[in-house]
Amino acid sequence: MASRLEPRRSRLLLAAWLVAIFAISACKEPRLLSGAGVVAGLLFHRGLGRTLARVLRTILPVTAGLALASVLGLRAVGGAWPPVEPFAALALRAGVIGVITFSVLDRVGLLAALAPFPALSRLLVVTLAQTHALRLLATESRDGLRSRLARKPGAIDMLRSSGAVTAALFTLSARNAREISDAMRSRGF
Amino acid sequence: MHVPDGFLSPQLSVPAYAVAAPLWAWAVRRHFGRGAAESLPVMGSLTALAFVIQTLMIPVPGGTSTHLVGVVVLALLFGPLVAFVCEALVLLVQALFFGAGGITVLGVNALAMGLVGPLAGWLVWRLARPFSEKAALFLAGWVATQAAALLLAGALALQHRLDPAYFPVPIAVNLTAMMVPSLTVAGVVEGLYTVFVLSLLRKANPRGVAA
Repeated sequence: MASRLEPRRSRLLLAAWLVAIFAISACKEPRLLSGAGVVAGLLFHRGLGRTLARVLRTILPVTAGLALASVLGLRAVGGAWPPVEPFAALALRAGVIGVITFSVLDRVGLLAALAPFPALSRLLVVTLAQTHALRLLATESRDGLRSRLARKPGAIDMLRSSGAVTAALFTLSARNAREISDAMRSRGF
Repeated sequence: MHVPDGFLSPQLSVPAYAVAAPLWAWAVRRHFGRGAAESLPVMGSLTALAFVIQTLMIPVPGGTSTHLVGVVVLALLFGPLVAFVCEALVLLVQALFFGAGGITVLGVNALAMGLVGPLAGWLVWRLARPFSEKAALFLAGWVATQAAALLLAGALALQHRLDPAYFPVPIAVNLTAMMVPSLTVAGVVEGLYTVFVLSLLRKANPRGVAA
């Protein structure tokens, strides 16, 4: 992970990121998008290999699958190969936004940057802490189901187990909410 | 199911924010109390719950798997507006901390997966439950999935209609890619899951859950 920026710089970088991704989401020229990609690569060259691998793994399969299906569909209906530029622009746009987003989020200390917005940062802290606690319970329940069954769990086994896990998660989540609420009141919120 | 960044232009993503933002403000004021001590823990806990439900993977025939959405369960228990706020926060956390989904398309995704889907499921449940509770729960899960997928497919189709050079995927391909998995697998899984969860919650009746 790249070293985290101090809060003020993190806030500036987040603001620039928001402007950049909305601007790129308005662009459909492959040359402009390629240029934006090169600039992003130069700005965020540290850790670029890992970021590109993440984009290739998470974003490009969806875009490539849709593009392939579209090209084959248009070829079957129209009898001619459709122009490639719009598909290239779509893939580039999704890819460049992905590179910028992953690079920025890897560099900013998000919770520190959100310190001027105390309600939002507290909400994120509560959410992330609760997510961690509830995920542990969900993982333990899934492992428990696997160890109890001699065979590999099927769809119905997993659905029944998910139902039971969700019921337990509801109970835990309601109890945690009450405890956090009491703790916040005792600290004067 | 959700649309990633770069698939919708600001022509659609900005109006979606303009529709979603006042609804978020209204829903938070109406359902989560006025003080931070009341609202933050409940919102955080329910959002975490929705997030964790979405990480539960269900194997489906053919060697692949699908994940649950689970927002309709929140809508049936706490109301569609609570589900809307929680799903928007889930999408925000996924975009900021896990690099999934996206910020530019957050309004569109939240309106489809957090509002229209759960609201459709909740309405179907209200209409069908006098006839059969279990069938109503299954239908709620199934309809919520279809409504959300249809709205997202509609947004992509509208983008193609507005500017085919921006989103070149034809409506037929886009509808097939969104609706076939939703109609055949994801909707059925969500429907069965809704039946299992609500039946168990009614039996267990834990404190703080209005089942």
